[in-house]
Amino acid sequence: MGRLRWKGLVLAVAGLVVLSTPLIGAQERGITPTEVVLGSSMPLSGPAAYWGAVGKGIDAYVKYLNDQGGIHGRKLTFILRDDSYLPPRAVANVRELVERAGVFAIVGLIGTANAFAVRDYIVQNRVIWITPTADSSIWAGFRQKRYLFVTYPSYVHEATILTRYAAEKLGVKKVAVFYQNDLYGQKGLLGVKRAVNALKGAVKLVSAVPYELVVTDLSSHALKLRGSGADAVILYATPRHGALIVREMAKIGYRPRLLASFTLTDPIMFTLAGEAWDDVYLTAFFPLPGTDPKVDETLQILFKYDPTLRANPFNSVAGVAFLEPFLEGLRRAGRDLTTERFISAMETIRNWDGQVIRGVTFGPDRRQGINRIYIVRAEKGRYTKLTDWIEYPVEF
Amino acid sequence: MAVLALQYALNGLATGSLYVLVALGIVILYRTSRILNFAHGDIATFGTFLAFTLITRLGVAPLLAYLLTLATTGLLGAGFYSLILRRAKEATLLGQIVMTLGFALVLNGAVVVVWGADTKVFPSLLSETKVYHLGGIVISQLSLGSLIMGFFLMVLLYLLVQWTKVGLAMRAVSQNPLAAQALGIPTRRVLALAWGVASALGASAGILLAPVTLLDPFMMLDPFLKGFAAAVLGGMDSPPGAVVGGLVLGVIESLFGGFVSVAFKATLAFAIIVLVLTVRPEGLLGREYKKRV
Amino acid sequence: MELRERYEEDLALVLGLPAWLGLLVALAVLVLFPLLAPRYLVYIVTLMAIHILVAIGLNLLTGYTGQISLGHAGFVAIGAYTAGLLMVRVGVPFPFAFLLSGFSAAFFGFLLGLPVLRLTGPYLTIATLGFGIAVHQVLTNWEGLSGGRMGLFIPKPSIGPWTLASEAALYYLAVGTTGVLTWIAYNLVRSHIGRAFVAIRDSDVAAEVMGVNLMVYKTLAFGLSAFYAGVAGALQGHLLGYIEPQMFTLFESIYYFSMIVVGGLGTIPGSILGAVLMTILPQVLSGLREWLPIVYGGTIIFIMAVEPWGLYGRWLRIKWWLKTWPF
Repeated sequence: MGRLRWKGLVLAVAGLVVLSTPLIGAQERGITPTEVVLGSSMPLSGPAAYWGAVGKGIDAYVKYLNDQGGIHGRKLTFILRDDSYLPPRAVANVRELVERAGVFAIVGLIGTANAFAVRDYIVQNRVIWITPTADSSIWAGFRQKRYLFVTYPSYVHEATILTRYAAEKLGVKKVAVFYQNDLYGQKGLLGVKRAVNALKGAVKLVSAVPYELVVTDLSSHALKLRGSGADAVILYATPRHGALIVREMAKIGYRPRLLASFTLTDPIMFTLAGEAWDDVYLTAFFPLPGTDPKVDETLQILFKYDPTLRANPFNSVAGVAFLEPFLEGLRRAGRDLTTERFISAMETIRNWDGQVIRGVTFGPDRRQGINRIYIVRAEKGRYTKLTDWIEYPVEF
Repeated sequence: MAVLALQYALNGLATGSLYVLVALGIVILYRTSRILNFAHGDIATFGTFLAFTLITRLGVAPLLAYLLTLATTGLLGAGFYSLILRRAKEATLLGQIVMTLGFALVLNGAVVVVWGADTKVFPSLLSETKVYHLGGIVISQLSLGSLIMGFFLMVLLYLLVQWTKVGLAMRAVSQNPLAAQALGIPTRRVLALAWGVASALGASAGILLAPVTLLDPFMMLDPFLKGFAAAVLGGMDSPPGAVVGGLVLGVIESLFGGFVSVAFKATLAFAIIVLVLTVRPEGLLGREYKKRV
Repeated sequence: MELRERYEEDLALVLGLPAWLGLLVALAVLVLFPLLAPRYLVYIVTLMAIHILVAIGLNLLTGYTGQISLGHAGFVAIGAYTAGLLMVRVGVPFPFAFLLSGFSAAFFGFLLGLPVLRLTGPYLTIATLGFGIAVHQVLTNWEGLSGGRMGLFIPKPSIGPWTLASEAALYYLAVGTTGVLTWIAYNLVRSHIGRAFVAIRDSDVAAEVMGVNLMVYKTLAFGLSAFYAGVAGALQGHLLGYIEPQMFTLFESIYYFSMIVVGGLGTIPGSILGAVLMTILPQVLSGLREWLPIVYGGTIIFIMAVEPWGLYGRWLRIKWWLKTWPF
């Protein structure tokens, strides 16, 4: 008798568990049968507000997707909050997004400081985290990467590739670096140094001139660069400072060969730097606007949903590049979405092409979605592709 | 080496002349009302963006646009004083400073909302790529123009303060507001005028600066801080001090950046100021610092 | 108005049954809060406690002693880096590193206090502002010391066998520290030191004539104020788990300064109110995106225009109005 009752109880519990599994699944944070909630915190005010266009691009693209019917019948909700580029506020925003708004995933976060300040929280709370826009090499050797998916290039490897190209293809002997005095610029400088060491005397690093973000008078920086006698200058700067230094160098009659990070492929450079932005060598990690019909189409969609993005096409389309792998993961995860299913789905992505981002690969132990760039040249207001994809090692 | 040093010094003079314009605005306000105006830079930025719209979107002739901008920015500054700051009658000095901080936030936010956070090219009558060579030293047409305009504005201001009735009234108010009022000087109007003149000066600095540094919502942050530092270096209540302070700061900064360290440029500027102030707490040309109980 | 009959009553911080009850209720709420509230609120209140600490320190200097500082982010940075570097590089246990963070900031406070002794008003403003910028540049460029812009990961604090890893533990650490230092500040401003500070603020010449040693008390004010900021910096480092020079810029200094003016200069409850409001406001408004600074700035102007003595001044007026009602 007693045994029977126990059996009944066990059966009932087992039945309940089986029945409730899809229910619990459906109740996972940020997912309902009709909705997936995404969140981000970005600088929309303050000195870094320019990069906030990444978030606005994502916002516009999500609206477009919803008008197309969403993914598997689910609409996407994107909650974008302002952190003025201040880590304490970014942390508060992310916590509130996770715990109060209950987001399924965090997309982005701009800058290394913000990314590092929320890193442990995101790991502990098992939040899906899509492409914090910071040099991807900061994640090299990072073990708790299960929930992290990154399709951002590595500045270190990019700078190495640029320097090699300068030495081997352009015959550059003496190179100087003009860099922003933060992790972005310092990683670029590190990459140049690595290439210079590896090339064993074929090219020399003659000067490295840093600048601070708030400084606008770059006349002494330009004189220093000229004084170094470098025949090529590599730029790791914001579009504004990149344009300023190029103009300043032109003013004092110093015209070295110019190479620059992909962040300066922003077409705004042609306006800001004018004629000085000619014959500049840069890299790209997705086909640049004006060179690829799918990317141009995406841009038109973004402009339709948010006309203010016209002022900042590059960053807004980059936002789409960061979001796309996530969308593909949602598509592959299918109707019954859970965090674990989503991760498994993401891990099946192999050499996948989106509208903007190309060649994305994740895997069970791989979270670095892209490991290749190519080199372009700026010519009379256009970018022409010079090389095929150049790969660099996968680090995480 | 000597040529290079000269070049650095010349660059410093060009930058310094813009510090002077900012510093003069700060000094005029401080002299008359003892207020440190933290919105000074953002008022100037707002004005510069206004000029940008007038010229590029509405097709107003540049010179006319500059004048319109100076007038509007002057009204903005005077309006802030008359409609907000003056109404807060009980506000303490620090309270008023915090109100200018609030105003700076509002203006900067408005610039980002209206014009966006992206960098823009500010049209200029002078070319930046056209350069003049003076025995190895290079100066662009634009820098030369700014330098000349800067000195022209300084002279204009000097004439206004020293040789006109309005200037006399301003000096009277700055020396003793109560006595000035008792003598029949409309102090409030004079103060509003001081705000207007200071704001217009700031905007003129912005217009001269924007073609060189490109138009950006935060373009005046560094020049404002340096202008403020220059004003302190020269002496907060002395317009000639602001001129000397601005030029000295610009030149020293440029030389230090060129020959010692670019990374510690700003630190140096402030270290010099602290050193000067320990010897002369009232700044280089400030008046003798007397206090009675 | 309450009538005080004995000297002891005048000395007491908390007087009368309602006040004691109020204090007990407040303490109970503070103790129970992390057990009941969602974790992100616990985080925000922890941040608030840290800001209160900086604000009280700054108010001791600016509100009580009359010395403006726009360089307090520098002291916060020194505190954060002292604690962080001592723990990471030297392996000093948390309690000592925590204490030393305050003292090293205080030491730099004394150092800054010396050259700026004779400065007032805008001159002092620029000197302190320059100090903040100098600290930022040194931390950015002296990579061997600070790790530069790569930043520094800060371990979770641990006392003996206990690791304070959870939000609640950090909350108790921050709120407890702030509580103790607030109590100390309350007593300090009522002691001869506090009176000397106020005398300097009201007239330094008169204070000197009455026997207040200006050099001692001005540098003391700088040191004390920096101590509070330094401790707050260490707490902030532990809360975020990561520090980087860019977290301690002029913007932060201006932010601390507006806290105390908006809250109420020369009052401790004012520092608390100001820090609480200025922490909550951007958080609540952050969904406004690029409109945030406009509303934030507008609110600051409004508060200062309506109530020159800050939030605490408004509270006092309400209290008096209630006490004297209906007259």
